[in-house]
Amino acid sequence: MIECKNINYKYHGTQYPVFNDLSCKIDEPGFHALFGLSGVGKSTLARLIAGQLDGFTGKIDNKTGKIFYSYNLERLPGWSSVGEHIAKVTPVQNKNRINEIIESFGLSSCIDSGFSHLSLGQRNRINLARYLLQDFDFLIMDESLANVDEATREQIIFKIKDMYPQKTFLYISHSVAEVSMFCKNIIVLRSFQKSPQSLTVLGQDDTTGKSVERKNLEKTMLEIVNVS
Amino acid sequence: MFHKRLYQFVFIYILGIGFLFLIKKVLNLSDYVIPSPVEIYETGRKVFLRYIPDVLNTLSVAIIGHVLSIFMATIIGIISRLSNWIGSFIKTAAFNIQAYPIVAVAPIIFILLGDGLSSRLLIAAMICYFPLLLSFIGILSEPVVDIEHFYVHSGKMRWQLEVKIRAFENMNKLVTVISGSATLAMVGTIVSEFIGASSGIGYSIRIALYQSDLAKILIALFLIGIFTSLYLAFLEWLGRIVVRKWEHNS
Repeated sequence: MIECKNINYKYHGTQYPVFNDLSCKIDEPGFHALFGLSGVGKSTLARLIAGQLDGFTGKIDNKTGKIFYSYNLERLPGWSSVGEHIAKVTPVQNKNRINEIIESFGLSSCIDSGFSHLSLGQRNRINLARYLLQDFDFLIMDESLANVDEATREQIIFKIKDMYPQKTFLYISHSVAEVSMFCKNIIVLRSFQKSPQSLTVLGQDDTTGKSVERKNLEKTMLEIVNVS
Repeated sequence: MFHKRLYQFVFIYILGIGFLFLIKKVLNLSDYVIPSPVEIYETGRKVFLRYIPDVLNTLSVAIIGHVLSIFMATIIGIISRLSNWIGSFIKTAAFNIQAYPIVAVAPIIFILLGDGLSSRLLIAAMICYFPLLLSFIGILSEPVVDIEHFYVHSGKMRWQLEVKIRAFENMNKLVTVISGSATLAMVGTIVSEFIGASSGIGYSIRIALYQSDLAKILIALFLIGIFTSLYLAFLEWLGRIVVRKWEHNS
């Protein structure tokens, strides 16, 4: 669906590249993760995949369709309430999903508030909600659930998996436990000095919150830590 | 807010007058050069009411010129956001023209348009236009990435929305720039009246200058200060209402 082949990328004015012959792929729908240490290039790769950065060599094959990239610092305009904003930016065919998403994301109480009056966690959830209401095929969630408590985060991820089984998600997070538990494939991004620069680890892809064995989860976590 | 502005001006005016008297005392100047307080008071009684319509005349020209400049700067600022050659051309032209002292072309305007209202209006507008334009270009050309990202990548961005986002996010800056440029509009009008107009407080000051009557000039300066302060206070008040309304909505 998405395949990055031999990507080389360097920010203008920097000494070292971010990517040195990086290759990775996501070949099935579901909830996948991009994991790596800070500064290793997770957001850069996400933006390359979303077509928001150019100047790289190599090839990115997109056979998935429309890609959206959401990140946790995004804001909504301040002149209307978040509810009005969501209603305005949601395509007509998806309007019936607004209430379901808002309720399951625990946002019903803040729908009439202005964006600046919300907590960081609420802001991130509202931002993610508006992306989920678009017509997307592939959604990159770059720390989109930062500042959200663990229980709500889990509830949101399960809801997304339940509502969008045919869509593809690339979840960027710093939590090893979280990506191990919820994701199908975890692309572990490493320093440009290591070869290969990325490795894929199979995750537990939990959909209910009860079916993952502790032993398997620990094994996945250990594997991620070892390769990163 | 209004009284604060007035107090501040009166305080500075009294300091200025005090400084003049200090110079007079130190240099032992005659009343002909710097009139006595009694003479200033007597002149004030004679010309105060006569000068008020002149100041109002000047202020009204300055306000119209200011509003015209804001309107023009908004339109040109919006066009300059474009990343094509028109946008680049406008930015380059604005930066170069503002580097030139516009007031120096005032005589040409008087030659072409005469000494009436249009010349004063044009000079007032030109003097406050370029600082306004540069600020508007800066504000409207600078993307608010964290807000615009969603609209751009979901294909929902329109130029009206882009302008609205950037104006909203920089409302405080816009209000400050507009208030600040009001003084420039007043400066432009008075300067144009000094140069060649046949009405307004600048013209009255020019007459007083020919008569070497510093008392009249000091009264005129007092009135200019009072009315300019009132206009600035009005703009600040208006700006606060707009900012509060927008912040309340958010």
